[in-house]
Formats: sequence, structure tokens, C-alpha cells
Amino acid sequence: MNGRERVRKTLRHEEPDRPPIDLGSTPVTGIAASTYFRIRRALGLGEQPVTIGEPFQILAEVEEPVRRALGVDTIGIWNPTNMFGFRNEGWKPWALPDGTPALVPRDFETDVDADGNTLIYPKGDRRARPSARLPKDGYYFDAIVRQGPLDEDHLDPQDWAEQFEPYSDEDLRYLEDAVTRLYRDTDYALVGNFWQGGLGDVAHVPAPGLTHPKGLRDPNLWYEYLLTHADYIRGIFEIQADVALRNLELYRQVMGDRIEVLVMSGTDFGGQQRPLCSPKLFDELWKPLYRKLNDWVHAHTPWKVFFHSCGAVAPLLDRFVEAGVDILNPVQCSAAGMDAATLKAKHGDRLVFWGGGVDTQKTLPFGTVDEVRAEVRERVRILGKGGGFVFNTVHNIQARTPTENVLALYEEVRAAAFPLAPAARVP
Amino acid sequence: MQDVLDALKKAIEEGQAKDAAKAVRNALDGGAEPGAILRDVMVPAMDEVGRRYECGDYFLPEMLISARAMKEALAILRPQLVATDVRPAGTVVAGTVKGDLHDIGKNLVCMMLEGAGFEVRDLGVDVAPDAFVDAVRGGGVNVIALSALLTTTLPNMKVTIERLKAAGLRESVGVMVGGAPINGALATEIGADGYAEDAAGAVALARRLVGAPAESPRGAT
Repeated sequence: MNGRERVRKTLRHEEPDRPPIDLGSTPVTGIAASTYFRIRRALGLGEQPVTIGEPFQILAEVEEPVRRALGVDTIGIWNPTNMFGFRNEGWKPWALPDGTPALVPRDFETDVDADGNTLIYPKGDRRARPSARLPKDGYYFDAIVRQGPLDEDHLDPQDWAEQFEPYSDEDLRYLEDAVTRLYRDTDYALVGNFWQGGLGDVAHVPAPGLTHPKGLRDPNLWYEYLLTHADYIRGIFEIQADVALRNLELYRQVMGDRIEVLVMSGTDFGGQQRPLCSPKLFDELWKPLYRKLNDWVHAHTPWKVFFHSCGAVAPLLDRFVEAGVDILNPVQCSAAGMDAATLKAKHGDRLVFWGGGVDTQKTLPFGTVDEVRAEVRERVRILGKGGGFVFNTVHNIQARTPTENVLALYEEVRAAAFPLAPAARVP
Repeated sequence: MQDVLDALKKAIEEGQAKDAAKAVRNALDGGAEPGAILRDVMVPAMDEVGRRYECGDYFLPEMLISARAMKEALAILRPQLVATDVRPAGTVVAGTVKGDLHDIGKNLVCMMLEGAGFEVRDLGVDVAPDAFVDAVRGGGVNVIALSALLTTTLPNMKVTIERLKAAGLRESVGVMVGGAPINGALATEIGADGYAEDAAGAVALARRLVGAPAESPRGAT
């Protein structure tokens, strides 16, 4: 059974021969560049610089030999432009603060300030203010909030319009080339990194890819405005959804039925203990537009809709399903109310769990190899039963994660064969 | 006067910043004693906000707008508190640890602590261990509050606590920790005095660390 068949089967809620594995098909199912460098070296696959496919979180572009060695079943169709608003092309050398050798796009323009922090320029434009900062010894960029003065009485959602652009012909050619090549030359399940349905994704509020962001850009204020200026927020969401709908049609024309999965939204709705907003607010602001976008996908394509939301979102999952979500990621089992058995029992017939494979806040970075293996076996046993499960760690594999823990986790998943032996089955 | 104080309490509980500012001005104009406004109206209002969060009626946005209302009302009240020599419930030095730039949770904790009558010195994000040590060395600090979102920066909490020990200052302050990758067991392991899972819990914890009752004393309003 190849990767494409394996993923198709599990998306139909049937058990494949083993759990399909994702690593690196999206920027929320990937691996930190520094950890990737060590993994690849441990696999005997060289010490060449790591290509930074996602510069904001400094994630590695996972390469074919590594995919093969770890048993990965997926590959992503990435957008031509990254979080910082420049194209992923024209690679040049760069080193992470910990010394990991890397390749970054030509327009990855940075300065190091007096404190040793690395500052990056949006669209590679040094005339703009830097839009993100990588602390000295850090492992990720974080957005610099560039909030201009706000006139609360004259807020205009159109301030946000430049953030949501129709695909250009060049973009569509890029996507067409990628999907044609990957569908023809590989047997991986293809994942479309659309992302444009991520209404109010707080990672995009500061707009690290825009040179001069206008309107409300401070994430702290954003959460207040959800209540105090709901019409303004709704106006922004409507502009975004309109463009996303038009782009979905263009995406469909390019992708056809060659992708299995469409990544729709990365808006985080959960903290560690509870959702970040009330179910009522979700119903008012998000659900109608999510429904519209997801219904369009289901009416016009065979794709399954992938939603990423960290945290304790159990109280929202019925609403996600009603809004047309097919796949939940990253399945943060450590958050309140999100334990694997409960999720599988309550929602496993309707949601595919793409993640939840092993905890990345505690077990994977700080646990022993045996603890990692035990948690992986347990999650595969619970979440994998009856299909509807793609193995992925809970969000990206972080920097400073021990090499032996990462290698052990893939060994465990590859060794899992469905149907699981009776002793290992859920009682 | 009771109407004015009730309006102030309601404005804070419901996150109406402009109404809260107006009500506190009215209360002062009406001759209410600044310390009593804080103690008997505003702090209990924020306790009620915390209670609504704990029981699932309120979420992050509701907490934030109530904290904003509290902050704006406090800005008006504070000069009067100073003038009448009202002491804070304690002094907390807060910050997100070295390498970590995330501050939504930390900011909310700071606002809730201020709402509970604490003086808060917010050192911001990406705060070096020695900056916390220097703040404590300056004197007058009861509690330091460390925040982290990232798994990779979690170890810097431990480093900060160790620096406090090395400087001989660990026993002079309570250390509380919070943030996504942390739990009670980890907090104990790294030598903190307490962990809170959210901003409402942080207030209760800070009160415990300074030896105050878990809830504000409720006077007649």
C-alpha cells in the first residue's frame, strides 16, 4: 500500500495497513530545522544545509531521502509566497543562532541588532520596518506589532483588503507545476496548503508579510475587538471569505482531484484549559463563513477539509463538524478535555484526527525513549482504530528535541500494523 | 452614591471601559473614599470576572475587556490612592522569560493582578534571568511571576530561579509560573512556589504567596 492509498483509506474512516504518517506537508505538521539537521545526520543522510521551507517558524523542508527513511506518506503543495511576503526561491546560505547551517530564500533580508536579535524585513524590503524578531539564541521568529494609531470611530475593514489577494497567473502556474510534478512523480498523498479560510488567525493579525499594515494589528487588542467592535471584525472576515471563495475556484481548476486534503484554516480557538472564545461568539462570527467555504469545497471537489486549531477545543468540535470540517489538527491531547479516548469516542466517526500522535510540549522533548514509544503506541491504538487517523506529532517537532526520541517515534508508527493484535486493541 | 458604585461594579464586570471611567469619576466627585472604592467595589468586581471565567461563562475576550475597564478606572483612581496612602496588596514583578516573545497571557495576568490591588512591574518579554534578579535586588518585591509559551524557553524559568538562589534572594520572594508548556508538577520540579493555569488562578496564587486571604474581603458597597 503506498502513501496515497493509505491516506485515502484512512480519510474514508477505514483502517489501512498501518497509520499513514505526515511530516512536513504543512507548516503545522513539520519539524524545526535544527532538529531536522540532527535527524538527517543520524539517518546517515548527510550534513548539508537545511532548506528553510517556512522561515517564520524556521521549519525544514523535508527531503525525499528523509521521507523514505521515516516512512512518510504525504507531501504538501506549498504556496509560492511565505509568511514574510516573499517567494521561496533563489536560495542563499544562512545559519541559525545555534549554528545549524541553512538555506533561505533570496529575499530573506535580516539585520542583527545590538542585543543579538535577528530582525527580518517584510517582502525583503529594507525600507519597511522589520516585521519579526528572532531572539538571540532563539528558534522562531515572532511578529513585531506595528500598530499605527487607531480611530475607533472610523474603523474600515477595507484596511485589511491588501492581505487577501486573488491568485496571480504566476501563482497559479507555480501551483500547477507543483501538483503536476508531485502527482505524476510520487505516490504520496498531496496536501493543498490553501489556508485562506483562516478567519482572524492571530498569527496573521500583525501581518508580518506586509510592508505597511493598516487597521487593527495588535493581537492583544484584537481579542478585545472581537467583542467591542464585532462589526469591524465581521467586515474583515467577509472580505477574506469573499476572496477565499474566488481563490477556491481557481485552486480547484488547478488541483482538480489530485490533492486529497485542503488546508482551510489555521485559526487557533483553544488555550491549554478552554476555548479562547465562547461557543456563542464562534457561532456568530466564524461559523456561517466557515460553513460557506467548506460547503463550497464539498459541493465542487472530492477534497477533505483540514482545520488546524491548537488547544482545548472539545466544546467546539460539534460546531466544527456542523461547519463542514472533516479533519482536525493538531489534536492537542494534553489540553483540557482533549484526551484521545474521549475524542475518538465522541467525534471519531465524523472527524479524522491528523495529529495527536505524541505530545511535543512534554513527552517528546523531555521524556525518555521508552516514554515516547509508549505514548505513540497508546495513541495509535486509540486514535487509529477503524481509520480516521493520520499520524503526526502534536504540532511541529520542536527545536532541542532529542534525536533518539524522534527516531524512536517513527519506528513505533511504522511497526504498527492494522488490524492491531487483539491484545493491543481498545477494550 | 450606592447607584454610582453599583454602576462602577457592573461596568467592570461587563467590560465597559468608558462607563467604568465615568463611574469612578462620579464616585470620587461624590466623596467616596478612594481606598474603599478599590477595596469594596473594584476588586470584588474583578473577583466576579475571575469567577465567571472559572465557571465557563467568560472567555479570554470577556476577561480582557473587563481588565481594560479596570485598568482605565484604576488610572483615574490611582493618584487618589497615592494621595491617601493606600498600600497595594503586594508588589509583583512579571515577565516572559528569555527567548520568548509571547505576552497575551502575561499581560492578562498583569491586568488581573492590578485589578486585585497589586502593584505590578511588568518587565515585558524576552526578559533575561538577571533582569528579574536586579528587580528583586532593588527591594520591595513580594512575588515574581514568570511566563513562557514555548517548549524551548521553558528551561529559562529554571535558570531564572537558580539565579535568584545564587544571588541569595530566592527566599525573599515568592515565585509563580504559568504558560502553555507548564503544569504543577513541572513548577515544583523547577523550584517555583506555585503554578496557576490561568489569570484568575494567578490572582489567587499571588494572594496566597503574600499571605492574603484567597478572596478579597468583601465590604458593603
